[in-house]
Amino acid sequence: MVTKLKVILTLCFVKIKKIMLAVKKKKSMKEIMTVYYMEAKTAKLSGKKVAWITSGGPVEPLIAMDIIPVYPENHGAMIGASKMGVDLCEKAEEMGYSRDLCSYARSDISCATVNGGPIGGLPKPDMLICCNNICGTVLKWYEIQARYYEVPLFILDTPFCHTEYSEEAKKYVRRQIEEYIAFLEEVCGRKMNYEKMDKVGRLSVEGQRLWQAVLDTATNSPSPITAFDAFFHLALIVTLRGTRIAVDYYKNLLEEMYQKVDKGIGAIPNEHYRLLWDNLPIWYRLRWLSNKFADYGASLVADTYTTAWCGTLKYIDVDNFLDSMAEAYSRIYLNIGIDEMAKNVIEMIDKYNVDGFVIHSNRSCKPYSLGQYDIQKIVQRERDIPCLVIEADMVDERNFSESQIATRIEAFMEMIKEQKGSWSRNSNYTE
Amino acid sequence: MCVAGIDIGSITSKAAILSDGKIIGTKVTFTGYNAALAGRKVYEDLLDELTIDETSIKKIVSTGYGRNSVDFVDKAVTEIICHGTGAHYLNPHIRSIIDVGGQDSKAMIVDQDGRVKDFVMNDKCAAGTGRFLEVMARALEVDLDSFGLQSLKAERPSKISSICTVFAESEVISLISKGEKRDNIIAGIHESVAARISALAKRVNVRSPIMMTGGVAKNIGVVKALERKLGMSIEVSEYAQSNGAIGAAVMAMKL
Amino acid sequence: MDVLTEFYEILNDPYAYGQTCRDEKKKKVIGYFCSYTPEEIISAAGAHPMRLFGTRGEIALADQHLQAYSCSLVRGALEEVLNGRLDFLDGTVFPHTCDSIQRLSDVWRLNTNFRFFADIVLPVKLDTDSAKEYMVDVLRKFKRDLKKGLNCRISDEDLNEAIATYNKIRDHLKVIYGLRSKNPGIITGGDVYSIVKVSMIMDRNDLVKKLPELIENLKTRNVSEDRRDRKRVALVGSICDQPDIYSIIEKSGGVVVWDDLCTGSRYFEGIIEIDGDPIVSIAKRYIERQICPAKHVSLTARGDHLVAMANEHDIQGFIFLLLKFCEPHAFDYPYMKEYLEKENIPSMLLEIEDQLPAEGQLLTRFETFMHMF
Repeated sequence: MVTKLKVILTLCFVKIKKIMLAVKKKKSMKEIMTVYYMEAKTAKLSGKKVAWITSGGPVEPLIAMDIIPVYPENHGAMIGASKMGVDLCEKAEEMGYSRDLCSYARSDISCATVNGGPIGGLPKPDMLICCNNICGTVLKWYEIQARYYEVPLFILDTPFCHTEYSEEAKKYVRRQIEEYIAFLEEVCGRKMNYEKMDKVGRLSVEGQRLWQAVLDTATNSPSPITAFDAFFHLALIVTLRGTRIAVDYYKNLLEEMYQKVDKGIGAIPNEHYRLLWDNLPIWYRLRWLSNKFADYGASLVADTYTTAWCGTLKYIDVDNFLDSMAEAYSRIYLNIGIDEMAKNVIEMIDKYNVDGFVIHSNRSCKPYSLGQYDIQKIVQRERDIPCLVIEADMVDERNFSESQIATRIEAFMEMIKEQKGSWSRNSNYTE
Repeated sequence: MCVAGIDIGSITSKAAILSDGKIIGTKVTFTGYNAALAGRKVYEDLLDELTIDETSIKKIVSTGYGRNSVDFVDKAVTEIICHGTGAHYLNPHIRSIIDVGGQDSKAMIVDQDGRVKDFVMNDKCAAGTGRFLEVMARALEVDLDSFGLQSLKAERPSKISSICTVFAESEVISLISKGEKRDNIIAGIHESVAARISALAKRVNVRSPIMMTGGVAKNIGVVKALERKLGMSIEVSEYAQSNGAIGAAVMAMKL
Repeated sequence: MDVLTEFYEILNDPYAYGQTCRDEKKKKVIGYFCSYTPEEIISAAGAHPMRLFGTRGEIALADQHLQAYSCSLVRGALEEVLNGRLDFLDGTVFPHTCDSIQRLSDVWRLNTNFRFFADIVLPVKLDTDSAKEYMVDVLRKFKRDLKKGLNCRISDEDLNEAIATYNKIRDHLKVIYGLRSKNPGIITGGDVYSIVKVSMIMDRNDLVKKLPELIENLKTRNVSEDRRDRKRVALVGSICDQPDIYSIIEKSGGVVVWDDLCTGSRYFEGIIEIDGDPIVSIAKRYIERQICPAKHVSLTARGDHLVAMANEHDIQGFIFLLLKFCEPHAFDYPYMKEYLEKENIPSMLLEIEDQLPAEGQLLTRFETFMHMF
């Protein structure tokens, strides 16, 4: 009992210190995320409820209800980045889960049973919110966690938009938004405050606009930001979308990017080639990949992944957030047909003035990866730029072959060089 | 009363003869391409060695992948059941058996009577089998028999992350070219095999006491690495390789 | 000709049969992949629904579109259409199930040129009022798509007539399963599988006449003694287009008496009411029928179903057939195994692809399994 109290006091102290530090200067990502996870882990003390939610799920109602959202996928990314994925995936395989299953799901499922991983496991959920707009995998994953934690599960079913967002789907999703709020009200035992919901909706839209603006600074040459930076800064638009914290953070970040643009500072020292990344990051090899491309003077200026958290802004009506959110969440990048995805890719190629397309064929993510070859064909037909396919996995390092990938990158960069004109690392080439 | 068990595996064939419930002899030979012939031969060789006449053998049980190719036996039983029975015969306290042979690896749980309660077998992939070790030993030009011992000399096992035998081989070759110490690479290979086997074993929740059988049980490097991975000690009997044949003979006794 | 022989003749070359349906019966042939396809609506439109499977040949063309980590059904089906073997089709329909089929639908739509194409974006959860309503809405939408695409009329009478035919077929299949469960010796597992398979391929109006004949024949068959002591097992999984698996199980001392397969009980379970709006009735069957793991009704529906099946059909052990790379089934396996363990029912897992593992290895596993209980 005494030790438990000590731990709690220490935690509170650390938290206060962090907050005090954070007010003094601009909050860093690390500080914000530490405070965020601390709050989530001590939710029981503050009397708040914790909801686990899928990365594409509508978090705004949770924020409005003062429920702490926790993202197993963000956790999966942390597990991958800290290179703890293989151990946890193997643990899941020992539990009977096939090696061919999503590595986020595998590492999260086994992590829950051992409280392992980089932050000693996620805080226990009081409820689970599963939105299948990103994949069908999350349904199975959340069923497993609902059985394990014995907590209620809400499924937001967003019909796949192969070629259209049908009237039928529209009606269905809109009704589910009401059911979602009713579910939250029941679990929390209190009513939704719609005034607050409205504010959260506005903050969410503001955050998404700022995030898009940050990503848009990559239209500059040299680009002040790479996809690798975006993978890092992404955490808040995923986890704290709809909060002031996220808005403030991206305001500062945008300011920083503008300054870099003004001074002509690029994210990599010698930007000669501009590339577009497709699919989730390879979390355990970010630095290696980033250096590898930078060595060839290639900057990954944009990606299809991080734009997913602002890509449907066009469907949102800020004065009617809940209604319009139904459509926005249904039409995200992973919930549309591959011809529509290819259209998005081509728009990005034009917008960011891209010389090559890097496709991560991710064993863990079928909705993202199956169809990539067709997207590649469409892109090459429409824009005739070199494409590179990297076979890997976002978390499970056993599916990454360094020498094979290094060779492919080298060949790909040769092709780009051929196409765009050569650049020698040693020459004093200036634009 | 004498009984015999014949285990016709993918690489080796084994025979065991029991007299009044006691092992009086075992034998191991290579199988070659004709499983039926190999089964017959290892049995006859053992009879010759023990100078026993075939007529004094009351019952014979065959096992292993070639178990149905021999026609002179009384019954054919799968090697999973025979390994369970054999391990139970050698040590009745055994509750789990890990059997790693040339192309298969298996893990099984047995009850107090040696009956198999649950089992798993590798899929068609060669990772975590004797074949994987064989391919790697060849790549490193090391004698397979000293492979295990050499792995114990390593200071720091290299990391071999690929599961696929083909990719792992190229990983090993690139480690060699990077100048990594041979002992470290060998230890890394053993770690990798042990990781595959332990994953399989944990899928059936192996529990102590564990016995390891099959040809790979003779490899001390794999056994030690596996003990570390499972956090449990592993018993290896002197009959590890002929355990399946012994189990078959015990089954014959009960016929 | 013996009914079974006739069935096997069709199965020997289903594509030729499809072509004949088109040429001689002047029916439009609509291909489909899953038991959530509302065949009744297709038949009511005067078209012929025909289930598609993977390929028996090499996969080469499909590799240009799909990665090696997609399942053999998805890759094999794409191979068949790209190499022109499915040219006899007038169109295809893709009900929403798993992520892989969903992407196959996109790749199919972009790389084929049939007259008709439709996605039926079914609900994923089936346990709420809004989902049930959406199920009806989406089936109505499919009816509209079909009318437009095939330029035909579909009246409620047409629908009810089709429903009546399918109800009879489903009932007959269930009777056949029941007869086998009672007397596993009267028919081989391979034959039963072939009957279910042909039911998804053959003209339903012909089929509905043939099945009673077959049932009468089965009722008069004598039980071969050696099958009586076999261990009673059930198969669980998605599809298993491998008739050999039944004979290998039989060789190992077991006999399949029931299943939870998309190409098995999930296809025929549930009767559609002929009363009121036929589309609502069709939707109702899907809502109430045993689910596939890509759908949700409750956290333990599939586990409960297996335990109930074990009791009803006196099943001693379950064999999980896991199609490699099939996510929905692979996610359910650990909990279902545990669920059965709690009831002291043994189970085993077998991973399958387009080719079965070597028979020797299969026999070892099955024989050991049958020895366990």
